[in-house]
Amino acid sequence: MQIQATRIIHAYRQAPWRVQRQYVGAFLLAVIVVALVSALYLDVTARAALAGREIQELRLGITAIQRSNADLETELAGLTSSTTMQRRALELGYRPVKPGELDYVFVPGYVAPEPEILLAAVDITTPAYRVPKDYTESLLEWLDERIKFGAAP
Amino acid sequence: MRQQYIARSTVLAVGLLVVSIAIIVQMFRIQNSEAAKLFLSQGDLYAGEFQMFHPERGEIYDRQGHLLAGNRTVYEVGVSLNDMKDVDAMAYVLGTYMDMTFEEVYDKLTDSPESWTYIVIKDYVDAETVTALQEVLQQLEDAEDNRLDGLGFKPHYQRSYPEQNLASNVLGFVTRDGRGYFGIEEKYNDLLAGNPVQVWVPRDPNKAIDIPKVPNGTTLVLTLNRDLQAKVENILDESLIEYGAKNGAIIVMDPQTGEILAMATTPRMNLNNYTDYFQVYDNGSQYNRSIGMAYEAGSVVKVLTMAAALDTGAVTPQTSFVDTGSINVGGITIQNWDRQAWGQQDMTGCLQHSLNVCMAWIATQMGSPTFYSYMEHFGLGHPTGVDLSGEAMGRLKVPGDSDWYPVDLGTNAFGQGVTVTPMQMLMAVSAIANDGKMVTPHMLYAMLRDGHQYNVPSQYAGSPISEQTARTLTQMLTVSLESESSLALLPGYRVAGKTGTARKAGVGGYSERRYQAVFAGYVPASRPRLVAVVVIDEPSAGAYYGGAVAAPVFARIMAGALRLMEIPPDDLPDGTGLVHSAASPEELG
Repeated sequence: MQIQATRIIHAYRQAPWRVQRQYVGAFLLAVIVVALVSALYLDVTARAALAGREIQELRLGITAIQRSNADLETELAGLTSSTTMQRRALELGYRPVKPGELDYVFVPGYVAPEPEILLAAVDITTPAYRVPKDYTESLLEWLDERIKFGAAP
Repeated sequence: MRQQYIARSTVLAVGLLVVSIAIIVQMFRIQNSEAAKLFLSQGDLYAGEFQMFHPERGEIYDRQGHLLAGNRTVYEVGVSLNDMKDVDAMAYVLGTYMDMTFEEVYDKLTDSPESWTYIVIKDYVDAETVTALQEVLQQLEDAEDNRLDGLGFKPHYQRSYPEQNLASNVLGFVTRDGRGYFGIEEKYNDLLAGNPVQVWVPRDPNKAIDIPKVPNGTTLVLTLNRDLQAKVENILDESLIEYGAKNGAIIVMDPQTGEILAMATTPRMNLNNYTDYFQVYDNGSQYNRSIGMAYEAGSVVKVLTMAAALDTGAVTPQTSFVDTGSINVGGITIQNWDRQAWGQQDMTGCLQHSLNVCMAWIATQMGSPTFYSYMEHFGLGHPTGVDLSGEAMGRLKVPGDSDWYPVDLGTNAFGQGVTVTPMQMLMAVSAIANDGKMVTPHMLYAMLRDGHQYNVPSQYAGSPISEQTARTLTQMLTVSLESESSLALLPGYRVAGKTGTARKAGVGGYSERRYQAVFAGYVPASRPRLVAVVVIDEPSAGAYYGGAVAAPVFARIMAGALRLMEIPPDDLPDGTGLVHSAASPEELG
């Protein structure tokens, strides 16, 4: 009776090559998943590095442009300095106006202009902002964070 | 056979497992060892570097937006010694382009300590020189010639003053260490310089975003009017030549707001060559005489004495005084400037003829406590609080001081024995021009930071006299100038003011030959918009009285200032604007 039962069990058992193939398949699947994740990680990391490098270069560019701006502004101020403008005016045939050559006209409601806001001097740099961490941290950094501090709430 | 295979496989598997576990254990051991921590910390050293970010120094503008102080790029030229291939070529090229000798550069390159990897050959090299050097470098690179390898240029800012000498006494200057000296540059150094930030700059490009933005220094807008400043400086320079004077100081201010529109003194220097300071000035107080040097006040103080007397009711404009040519105060006889008796005078006459005796009498009528109280309320003996570095206080002796004597009440009343800076004198007179109210004089109109403009409000500094007193005194001053056909008068405008002539104190008493000619006044008298003080120091070309020397300078300055500021004459109502010049283009051409 027992021999018969063993035979029945043997009849339903997977063939060994089948089991081996399943193991191999599972292993290959795991390898493929790891390879895919690695490739994705590599791609993201490479692109982040490129973006980071680009940011560094842009920052250098901004600094260079700011320097150039300051240089041009100073140069322009030199070209339009009081001494230079007076000399150019005299060369063009102008002369200082005399008190008797002035006419004053009453204008109802006239208010002498106040100094304007100096638009040229205003710092128009956009306020600095930070890119959210989710867009910058690497997979390893994310894992490290999770291990250290647990899952995010 | 099969059994043997299984046994071998098992042994091999166990062996591999043991090796694997050993490798993993070893990995963990190495990762957590002391040596690993040391390696990690050493690695961190090369992961980035601490860099000090110096913000761009804030600029300085005049009230119309003309740049008075800016920044320009200069370079530090250095050589990376490890990359240097040819010392001779490097020394020759740098020496040729940077105005140095071959030996100078060569010695720098070869005499540096062993541990140095980089050496600065010259700093603050201008952009033109660096551009020329970069072209040479490029040509050599194109020819695959590496003889200048290691040469590098580090840009940074240097202060630049496009107007050079203009308003140099007001602006001050910035040395190479980035610190401001004198004037606005020193007073507002912390604002202008901003806050340097030391930052860890990672080499990892992924962390590039972590570098913070360093905000620039605050930009300042001054109350100065550049064109008026230039005009005032020109007139002052011409006047010093015309009258053979040593020095001078002129300040023009809006009495209602305390905004200083022009402040000219001598000598001045090109701020781009600040190292000339030691050749131009003997000491710091000479840098801006308008605030740094106290002068004998002279007869301008008579205006303040009269203001106090009118305000207390001690006298009225019609009060009669018989001038006998002398008066005894504290046991000492005081005489008029011309040692003459002027007979019967009203108070306007006392001002018009600048009678010392009359003023001493007025002071005695008020008494010491009242007189000195008013003088202190006018700001004598106290700094004005103007926002410029290096302000002097002057001296007003008061009862109780060890060197005060009863006669001082009489002499102080006409300005003798009282020292004031031109700025103090201007502030005191501005109270009369501004209906009795004083406003703290200031240079700062606005600050610009992070895209916002912060205007600086005027600061009330007290009311030494009433509005009625101020108007009465203005009328008296106007009449006194017009009665004597003063050289300070302007066609179309009513001028209020007072001349002063002070003998300079020297060793052993007052000098008989060294004078200061002074004029303080304001226009238009009916609604004062400009108040000015003119001090001409030691005129030597004949005339030396304030009325002959300082008054015409005042008139020239005000003629230009009224035109530039578009201030209509007294007889035109408020709301009148300057619309055009009557001169035809042909006439102008």
